[in-house]
Amino acid sequence: MKIFKSIKWRLQLWYGLILVVVLAGFGFTAYQLERNRQFGRIDQELHRRLNVLANALHRPPPRRLDQGFFRPPPDQMPDEAPPIRQENRPQPEFRLPPEAAQLFGTNDSNGFYFHITSGTENDRHEIARSENYQKPKAVIQFDHFFDQLNHADLPPEKRPAKLKSMDYQDERITADILPSGELIEVGCSIAPELNELRHTALNLAAVGSLILLVGLTGGWWFVGCALWPVSAISTTAAKISAGDLSQRINVADAESELGQLAAILNSTFARLETAFAQQKQFASDAAHELRTPVTVILTQTQMALARERDAAGYKQTVEACQRAAQRMRKLIESLLELARFDAGQEILKKMQFDYAKTISDSTELVQTLADERGVKIMAELDGLEVTGDPERLSQVVTNLLTNAIQYNQPSGEVRVKLESQTGLAVLKIADTGQGIAPEDLPRVFERFYRADKSRTGAGNAGLGLSICKAIVEAHGGTMEVASKQNVGTTFTVRLPV
Amino acid sequence: MRILIVEDEPDLLASLAQALREEGYAVDTADNGDDGLFNAEGTDYDAIVLDVMLPGIDGWEILKRLRKTKKTPVLMLTARDQTCDRVKGLDTGADDYVVKPFDLEEVFARLRAVIRRSANKTTNLIEIGDVQIDTAARNVLFKEKPVELTAREYSLVEFMALHRGEVVTRTQLYEHLFDENDTTMSNLLDVHVSNVRKKLGAEFIVTRRGHGYCIE
Repeated sequence: MKIFKSIKWRLQLWYGLILVVVLAGFGFTAYQLERNRQFGRIDQELHRRLNVLANALHRPPPRRLDQGFFRPPPDQMPDEAPPIRQENRPQPEFRLPPEAAQLFGTNDSNGFYFHITSGTENDRHEIARSENYQKPKAVIQFDHFFDQLNHADLPPEKRPAKLKSMDYQDERITADILPSGELIEVGCSIAPELNELRHTALNLAAVGSLILLVGLTGGWWFVGCALWPVSAISTTAAKISAGDLSQRINVADAESELGQLAAILNSTFARLETAFAQQKQFASDAAHELRTPVTVILTQTQMALARERDAAGYKQTVEACQRAAQRMRKLIESLLELARFDAGQEILKKMQFDYAKTISDSTELVQTLADERGVKIMAELDGLEVTGDPERLSQVVTNLLTNAIQYNQPSGEVRVKLESQTGLAVLKIADTGQGIAPEDLPRVFERFYRADKSRTGAGNAGLGLSICKAIVEAHGGTMEVASKQNVGTTFTVRLPV
Repeated sequence: MRILIVEDEPDLLASLAQALREEGYAVDTADNGDDGLFNAEGTDYDAIVLDVMLPGIDGWEILKRLRKTKKTPVLMLTARDQTCDRVKGLDTGADDYVVKPFDLEEVFARLRAVIRRSANKTTNLIEIGDVQIDTAARNVLFKEKPVELTAREYSLVEFMALHRGEVVTRTQLYEHLFDENDTTMSNLLDVHVSNVRKKLGAEFIVTRRGHGYCIE
């Protein structure tokens, strides 16, 4: 089920379960409290009546003349006469005082009744009973339970202080055995209380369901509110993965955990966008650089084939095509070299070598070019050794020297200086050329960037300095440039010794 | 028809110039922005082929400055085919553009189109009396029969036809039919005119004494 894997649904499920448990516990407790309250009240009434009966048994009312001899017809004594049935055999008379008699009968919704017997357990005879006492079956069962409940088998002083009651169907009964041996049972109907409790239970269930409903709805809304930033983040992320890198997540609440996450994602997106833009620019520049030689080949061949030519004409075309192809080869090699550095795949040798010697060798390599331009190279090299790839570093030095000569004035100077500074081998190559304009200076290491838009030097695609920088950085070094217009430019290469 | 090509890649410049000369155009060349602007401002070219990326002044700047004084049709050569570049080119006043790498045929066709449009013609066919000129195929029919013309003669006919009704001075004709490398002899033009008259009828080109020539 996919739906239950969503955080929103899972949160809602857990929240709903907890809510149900809490509500059920609360409802159950409330019901029990109400039940105890109701039954406690009933028990109090029962015990009060039990005490009244017990007292009546031991303090019989003052004898009256007619007692035992004359029994008035039942209709003549309805008010005061308790519903007592006289036994035939002789026994002490029991008469309920009028105020006690009021406590029993059907005029009360509970209909309290009593039943008094004496004798032993197996031979009980009735002393008195209320008129509404009519459930001998209950009594039989009650006898049995009562013994267990109130420990009637124990001597009175050892019995529990408080009498217990028990329920039988919709009645509640309690009983006591007096020291003199009489067993008093008092009971009543608890139908009204049970009815009331049923109502209470229904009400609790209804209110509980309502609270559950409101709680779940509120919870759903709260979870939605809490998870809203997540869906906003995923919507934006989806848009970004669809190709629109300029999208950003709206960080409304930057202090929250999700706000921080959004901020982190935003900065990641920003870096992605920059990287993508650079990549796009790089690809576009590379394509642009390749277009010119391809155009040369196309126009040269189309022109050559337009009509019959002599051998010299064809030779000219082929030579032009060759130049274009060489230019493309150089460009492709440079691009691949850069790509390998980007991917960290360029394998550099790691060996200790004489850096000063490498530099002076490079100086000799460019001497011819310097002589052609009448540029003087002055080298001041401290003997230093570094660890790295001598061929690659020689490539860097040669490239920088060539630039320094090419962009120099006629009969200018190139100063090369190598010295040790705080654990670094610092190489400075300074020319006396026109310098680089301040607006171009930060961009000279950018790929395909040419300060002057001239492309007359075939193969000068504006990748040389980018490659130099990549090589130096692969050695753990840094490369920087400083320039003053009409004074000269200085490139500084710092390598760890 | 005289054309200026401004392009810094020498091999491309050479092949373009040669191909256009073989098409019968008089071609001047410049390999940097400054020379290009100097030539473009100094001569009435029929069209200019202008590269965007140039040492010195770049193609956009040349175009901007040229448009202050001249309406010469300009065909831009650009290595970038992004819409913003095309829009920029057309807005700056370029008449058309070709994206590198291009086919020579396309450059020829677009050049013809910009020249034609500058002369307010919409098709390649020009009809003057019994003479029909197809500027795309570069051939001429006289009374529905093909006429053999040399490249120079054809250029003369085409230029005059595109400026039909105007009096074209000899200086104009020299400027448009010969490039800076031609060593022009003063009577060379008269030879071409009389040859054209022989082939297309004596009344085809009218001489306005003291002014120049005219096709009516």
